[in-house]
Amino acid sequence: MNKTKIKWNVIAYFVMITFTLLTIAPIVWMILNSFKPHSDIVRNPLSPPTSLYLQNFVRSWVQGHLGVYFYNSIFYSMISTVLTVIIAMGSGYALSKFRYNFSKIIYMFYTLGLLITVHSVIVPLFIMETKLGIANTRLGVIIPYIAFGLPFQVFLATTYVKGIPDAMQESAIIDGANYLQVFFTIILPIATPIISTMFIYTFLGNWNEFILVQTLTSEIAIRSLPVGINSFAGGMSRDYGLQFSALVIGTVPMIIFYLIFRDKIAQGFAAGATKE
Amino acid sequence: MTFKQQKMASYWLLIAPGLILFAAVIVFPVFYSFSLSFTKWSGYGKSLFVGLENYRNIFSDPVFLHGLRNNMLIVAISVFGQIPLGFLLAYMLHRKMVRGGEFYQTMIFLPITISPVVVALLWNQIFSSSGIVTALIRNFSGNSQYVMKIFEDKSQAIIPILFVLLWMHTGTYMIIYLANLQKINPSVLEAAQIDGATEGQMFFRIILPSMVGTITTTAIFAIAGSLKAFDLIYAMTGGGPAHFTEVIAIYMYTNTFKYYKYGFGSAVSIIIVLLSVGLILILQSASKKIEKKYE
Repeated sequence: MNKTKIKWNVIAYFVMITFTLLTIAPIVWMILNSFKPHSDIVRNPLSPPTSLYLQNFVRSWVQGHLGVYFYNSIFYSMISTVLTVIIAMGSGYALSKFRYNFSKIIYMFYTLGLLITVHSVIVPLFIMETKLGIANTRLGVIIPYIAFGLPFQVFLATTYVKGIPDAMQESAIIDGANYLQVFFTIILPIATPIISTMFIYTFLGNWNEFILVQTLTSEIAIRSLPVGINSFAGGMSRDYGLQFSALVIGTVPMIIFYLIFRDKIAQGFAAGATKE
Repeated sequence: MTFKQQKMASYWLLIAPGLILFAAVIVFPVFYSFSLSFTKWSGYGKSLFVGLENYRNIFSDPVFLHGLRNNMLIVAISVFGQIPLGFLLAYMLHRKMVRGGEFYQTMIFLPITISPVVVALLWNQIFSSSGIVTALIRNFSGNSQYVMKIFEDKSQAIIPILFVLLWMHTGTYMIIYLANLQKINPSVLEAAQIDGATEGQMFFRIILPSMVGTITTTAIFAIAGSLKAFDLIYAMTGGGPAHFTEVIAIYMYTNTFKYYKYGFGSAVSIIIVLLSVGLILILQSASKKIEKKYE
């Protein structure tokens, strides 16, 4: 082996291990501390727990209403993700296979939408929802979740459906099927790979969303996990054990989700930055 | 219904739900925000047209200017920190310089699943007086009374936040670059290797030129993402202490929802849109020049 190659391998190992430790250490530390009582965390922040102290979890779950927040997060993420993906697939099919000229304009609108962030419309959105009476309701959260998911998901769907050969659609149409039948019986089944990527990517985004729920809701009963954890751990609790257990409750389900779906999540992110 | 009508009807049936939602939640509010930005309005009663007064007040407010400076630092850490580091990691993994690359990749990409709010609170603990950083410094320096003072300094308070942003996002860039590096035809690299090209030559003549497009796109993401940096900072410091870690999005939020200055807040959000579009245009023209150089 030549020397420069070995030198590069050493550097590469050093870089990889450093990054991995930097990423993992805080998470491991958080999990370890969640099993320690407050006094123990303050006195010996770096030492591992001496016994399996589960009281933090019981108390933060009950006092912090984490059960309610957890349920709401699942509710918002599931419903808006399913609707976003169905709507985006329908739009993607229409935009890529119908060959109307105005499709290009609609597609361009969605692309511009990628640049608009929640923060630039949150003020009018709040005013509109208050006027319509849907502020502080579940509907008032789900609608913007879907709308903000759309630009990127329409982009993913359109790009994918464009790649499906026209011949499949044409022969079905000649056999007398209508376009909606083609969509449900041909396009959707073929597009399963992109649908699962879209689903997982959107779900992840919705699960971690913060500012919309923070602004548009004010009742514990309809708030989601990130907002709940923030108000709970940031405000009321001086007990570090409770804070750490709340953070673990917010993190561990997503780490499991990640370990199962890592490739799909990666595909979603990679697809966004690929030109053509 | 004729065939043509049936086709047209199906088209609108498929397109309408998305388009209506998109128009109602994104397009209309952008224009609404624009018109609000020229008014003074506290949420009820009549709004008062004030022309450009909001914009003038914003740009003469030192809090906003400090926030803008912090945003630019965030842009800088994304473009000159996350992107090169992400690229370096991706390149090392792609060239198989380490064994078990899959493992490192999984670990470094992991922060992507964690909600920014959780990341914020976790790092607040890490930087707290009973956190990892203080404990390590106390152990190594022998000074058992050491306290971190970085958050009390106006110009440095943003540094820990920049570090956390780096921690959160470098893995994402790594994944994006890795996916795109894998698209480079390996036979081109093999041929170059047979012709005696060194690792450095292959990197600068083949790999880097084919990645210019991807790097530009990710830089656009980075800029757009940097200007909307909100969740993390909001949960970590709320812009404090004394506005030291203020960013534009938080400035907008406090003015609107704490002081009920809806017109003023809208003007700030319009500035966010204009800034991100402006920066992206500059970046695109710069990258076109680079791409031409490689053609």
